Amino acid sequence: MLLDYDRLGWLKVALLAFTALVAAFLLLPVVFIVLLSFGSSRWLAFPPPGWTLKWYQELFADPSWIEAALTSARIATMTAILAVAIGLLASFALVRGEFRGREILRGLLLTPMVLPVVVFAIAIYAFFLRLGLGGTTTGFVVAHTVLALPFAIIPIATALEGFDKSIEDAAIVCGASPLQAKLRITLPSIRIGIFSAAIFSFLASWDEVVVAIFMASPTLQTLPVKIWGSLRSDLTPVIAAASSLLVALTLALMIVTALLRRKLQT
Amino acid sequence: MSVEAQQGIATPRIPAGLGGLLPALILIGLFFVVPVLTLLLRSVTDPAPGLQNYAALLGDGTYARVFFNTFLVAAVVTIVTVLVAFPVAWMLAIMPPALASILFGIIILSMWTNLLTRTYAWMVLLQRTGVINRALMGAGIIDQPLPLINNLTGVTIGMVYIMLPFMILPLVGTLRAIDPMTLRAAALCGASPLAAFRRILLPLSLPGIAAGGLMVFVMSLGYFVTPALLGGTSNMMLAEMIAQMIQSLLNWGLGSAAAFILLVVTMALYALQLRLVGSKRVAGGA
Amino acid sequence: MTQSFLSIRKLRKAFGAFTAVHDVTLDIPKGEFLTFLGPSGSGKSTTLYAIAGFQDPTAGDVLLQGKSLLSVPSHKRNIGMVFQRYTLFPHLSVAENVAFPLRVRRRPDAEVKRKVADMLALVRLENFAERLPTALSGGQQQRVALARALAYDPPILLMDEPLSALDKKLREEIQAEIRRIHRETGVTILYVTHDQEEALHLSDRIALFRDGRIEQIGTGEDLYLRPATDFVAGFIGNSNFLAAEHLETVGGASTIRLADGALVSGINANGSFARGQKTRLMIRPEAFRLERSPNSAELVVEIVDVAFYGERRRIVARTSAGQEIDIRPTSSALAAQDVATCRRPVFFDPGAAFLFPA
Repeated sequence: MLLDYDRLGWLKVALLAFTALVAAFLLLPVVFIVLLSFGSSRWLAFPPPGWTLKWYQELFADPSWIEAALTSARIATMTAILAVAIGLLASFALVRGEFRGREILRGLLLTPMVLPVVVFAIAIYAFFLRLGLGGTTTGFVVAHTVLALPFAIIPIATALEGFDKSIEDAAIVCGASPLQAKLRITLPSIRIGIFSAAIFSFLASWDEVVVAIFMASPTLQTLPVKIWGSLRSDLTPVIAAASSLLVALTLALMIVTALLRRKLQT
Repeated sequence: MSVEAQQGIATPRIPAGLGGLLPALILIGLFFVVPVLTLLLRSVTDPAPGLQNYAALLGDGTYARVFFNTFLVAAVVTIVTVLVAFPVAWMLAIMPPALASILFGIIILSMWTNLLTRTYAWMVLLQRTGVINRALMGAGIIDQPLPLINNLTGVTIGMVYIMLPFMILPLVGTLRAIDPMTLRAAALCGASPLAAFRRILLPLSLPGIAAGGLMVFVMSLGYFVTPALLGGTSNMMLAEMIAQMIQSLLNWGLGSAAAFILLVVTMALYALQLRLVGSKRVAGGA
Repeated sequence: MTQSFLSIRKLRKAFGAFTAVHDVTLDIPKGEFLTFLGPSGSGKSTTLYAIAGFQDPTAGDVLLQGKSLLSVPSHKRNIGMVFQRYTLFPHLSVAENVAFPLRVRRRPDAEVKRKVADMLALVRLENFAERLPTALSGGQQQRVALARALAYDPPILLMDEPLSALDKKLREEIQAEIRRIHRETGVTILYVTHDQEEALHLSDRIALFRDGRIEQIGTGEDLYLRPATDFVAGFIGNSNFLAAEHLETVGGASTIRLADGALVSGINANGSFARGQKTRLMIRPEAFRLERSPNSAELVVEIVDVAFYGERRRIVARTSAGQEIDIRPTSSALAAQDVATCRRPVFFDPGAAFLFPA
């Protein structure tokens, strides 16, 4: 009865009220930041004394914000492409391969996800200082690809595990080469997994702060580094404007994901 | 002879499919394993060979406080997250799909929103003159602003906010896997809702709570951004201390040693979690 | 009958526009084994769930010894139940599962121990007390579920298709167990199934459900030998339906004309029919004889196929109107070679045939 939604009685009321409270808690910062970005108070008074677009104007007038956003987009896109490509190859091996130590290798490839980022951040920072890759786009992309790889492998491998290999075999029996069969049959079948992998690896890089803080140079700053720097100096409403745009981007990504999933599943 | 020959053909010389792993292994080997190992090496060689860095870390009261504080924050965050996540996951597991998808949407939105954005919002909300203090004072509940930021309260609120989705989502899976009929059977057996919760629902969701809780604990141990922005100097956490040792103090030996300690603790707990989840998967398959 | 033990009064359950149960009324004496039989979606499980308290009826009442159960929450109804799916608590041992209802009732340890031992002996699983449910077969799990449901001596035991997940052999074995346990404990059992053989084998009485209503209630013999409607006749056992024209009915015995023109008298009429009304004559396959007897009626058929089924033969025959019918005489009655495609009369007792509206 505890798992029958309609038979919980007063308990359902209490639990739903609590759930609504938690939902409000989860929404609060997101909604708040968007409202704040339109508020006219430089001191972030809430509710704002008036409404304005000046923080957005300030944001777009400052080339360093635009540049940081473009840098982030460039690095995140390259990271997503690399992570999906490497992750796709690795997933086939991890799911289809039959060799000893497969589980250990899988564990190794997923480790960057569980190791505290700060440990990896100082390790790769020191390493890149020696290689001369510190503060370069290459350095950023490589470091972010390491962090994004688990987020690419997990959805692709899950999709691949759910795909019946005999369908691919049937294509080969029909005369397709193994590569053709993979490209024309298997990949389209696991496209939802690949798509999720691309989104997750993009976000893993786009939102990454810790490695970026260590690696950033005065000439190469990602958006999170720019926000981080502003946050530490003062809580200007320009950050709220930048943050609101990030929320809008998140919402857009969610909607695109939902629409594409629906389309791909039918 | 012929048997051996056949076996030679049957077992491939190069393990099937291993080639596809090469790019991933090169990437992870060269840019993850090697840098991390180099860092660990540095903890026993910088500034001179020996264990003096570890001796310094473990022998000093200041550092001991950071270790203690790290575990304290992680433990508090984990407990609060579990307590808040369980009722939500419970409702999510059984509520009508339309309602559930709205709630899932809210959870995903909060999870996907930029980490700094969320933390920034909490900084503004929790500050002395922030919305929450003003609201509480306006309502006459308090007459002095509460210290909500730069202390344990601030870190806990900010971290629980970030960790909730990681606890709720797997727990929904665990709860959905429990047959509602089992709870009906318990009710007919005479178990009151409280007894059915304590004796059936809670024990059956314990594997999910343990796995999720351990994950939240491990993630909290090494968290950097939120504690750095919402925590106070008196309750610094390990990750922030490591960053400070490297960035401000340029003390690579001490920083590497602290990083190694964090790594060992994290990996040990991660292995424990894998065993929990693994054993659950085996039990589920049987 | 004095005041009935369990009484269902005009029970109705609607899900939106769909009514699953229409005003079902039933009286069940103490100690009876009553089966709700019917196709899926006929309302039998919904009725059971209303008694268990899993669903609130839209209207009507359920009374136990004269007291309404509806306002009593499930956990205070003191009813035992065995479910279709295995609902043992997976984290508790067999013994702890059986002990569970006693523990939540805070019975003393000694009593719990004794009762668990008794119950496990009752279902013959004494040696499995410490196992976890996952280490048991499906049949063993359902026996533990039975022990758990009976551990607190509930006055009523509900069983919701408890054997449907088991294979045939196991099903028969546990049916025998259930009969024995009913005999030994005297508990009142309400049993839901869609399997007519199971219903006939187990029950004192059967309530046959159709579209949320009880079509007929009675002993297995009643339903089989005296079906109230053609649905009952068709659902329980096998039946042949022959087109017939009603001529007259006197004192419950009808005279009809079959498609080949033959007149038959002394048929059981269900309801009243007009002269010349089109009707259907139901005859059980076993009711056919190959030899003439004093009062038997006659039907000329062409034998199409004869198959040996152990104690009986199954003969497929075609009437002169071209309808195929099923005839199952005892095996000794006719050898296969005797009937290789031939026209011959078969016989039936008009008293074992029933007339229904077409």
